[in-house]
Amino acid sequence: MFTDKIELKDFDKMEPEYKELLGHVLAIQADCEIGGPHLYVEKMLPAAPTKLDQLIVARTAAEEIDHYRKVARVAGDLGVDVSFVLSQPNEKRFVDTFRGLITTWEDNAVFGFLIDRVGRYQLEEFYDCSYLPLQRILPDIVTEELGHIEYGYNKTAELIGKGDEGKAKAQKAVDYWYVKALDMFGHTGSKRSERYRYWGLKRRSNEQAREDYINEVNPILEKIGLKVPDPLKGRHYL
Amino acid sequence: MDEHLLEVVRALHGAVKQGVSQSKDPKIMDKAINDCKEILDVIMAGKVQEWLN
Repeated sequence: MFTDKIELKDFDKMEPEYKELLGHVLAIQADCEIGGPHLYVEKMLPAAPTKLDQLIVARTAAEEIDHYRKVARVAGDLGVDVSFVLSQPNEKRFVDTFRGLITTWEDNAVFGFLIDRVGRYQLEEFYDCSYLPLQRILPDIVTEELGHIEYGYNKTAELIGKGDEGKAKAQKAVDYWYVKALDMFGHTGSKRSERYRYWGLKRRSNEQAREDYINEVNPILEKIGLKVPDPLKGRHYL
Repeated sequence: MDEHLLEVVRALHGAVKQGVSQSKDPKIMDKAINDCKEILDVIMAGKVQEWLN
C-alpha cells in the first residue's frame, strides 16, 4: 500500500500505473463537474418556478464550472488536457447519469438532492489522498456541493409539501435518480477501485461508498414521506 | 483557459448577486437572468477555440 504524499514535483517519478489512474480520475471528475450544467441549464434556467430559483440555477452552474476549472488546472499541471469535456455532447459523458437532459423542475430538485450527494461522496474519496494538489482544492468544492445538496433537498421537500400531486412527482423523480445514484459508485469488487486504494487515491471500495450512501439517504427519503426505491431494479453496475 | 473560465465564473456570480440583492425589482431580476443566460449559452455551446481567440 502506497502511503506517501506527493506534490507535483514528484509526479514524474511515480510509476506509470499511478500516473494513468490519477489522470483518468481527474478526467472523470472534470467531466462530471461540467456535465451537471449541461444537464439542467438549457431547460431549467428559463423554466425554474421563480426568478430567484432561476438565479440559483445560474449560480449552481457557475459553481460547477468553477469546480471544473479547478480540477482541469490540477490535471493540466500533470500534462493531462481535459478541455475536450467542455465540448463533448452529453451522450458521450463518462458517467451514464450525465447522458441526458433535465426537463422538469422535480428532476432538477432531486438531481441536487441525490446526485450532487454522490458528487460529494466522490470528492470525499480524495480526502487525505496521496496527491496533495488534488487534496487542496477539495474544501471549497465540497462546501459548494453541500449547498447544492441542501437546495435540492429543500426543493424536493417543498414539492412534497404541495400535496399528493407534488409528492407523486417527487417520488417519480426519486425512482429515476436513486438507481442512477447507486450505479455511479461502480461495480462491486472492481479491480480498478482496488488499485485506486492501493495508490492512496481513494479511501473506500465502490461497495463500501455505496453502502454509506444508502445508509445516509434512505432515512432522509423515509423522513420526508417518500418510498425508498428497489435498490436493484434497473441497475447496470452491481 | 483557466483565466477565461475564472472570468466567466466571476461574471456569473456578479450577475446573480445583482439580481438577488434587488429581488423586489423584477426588471433588475430579469436583466440578471438574461445576463446569466447569455454567458451560460456560450459555455454550454462548448466552442472552446472561439473563447480563446
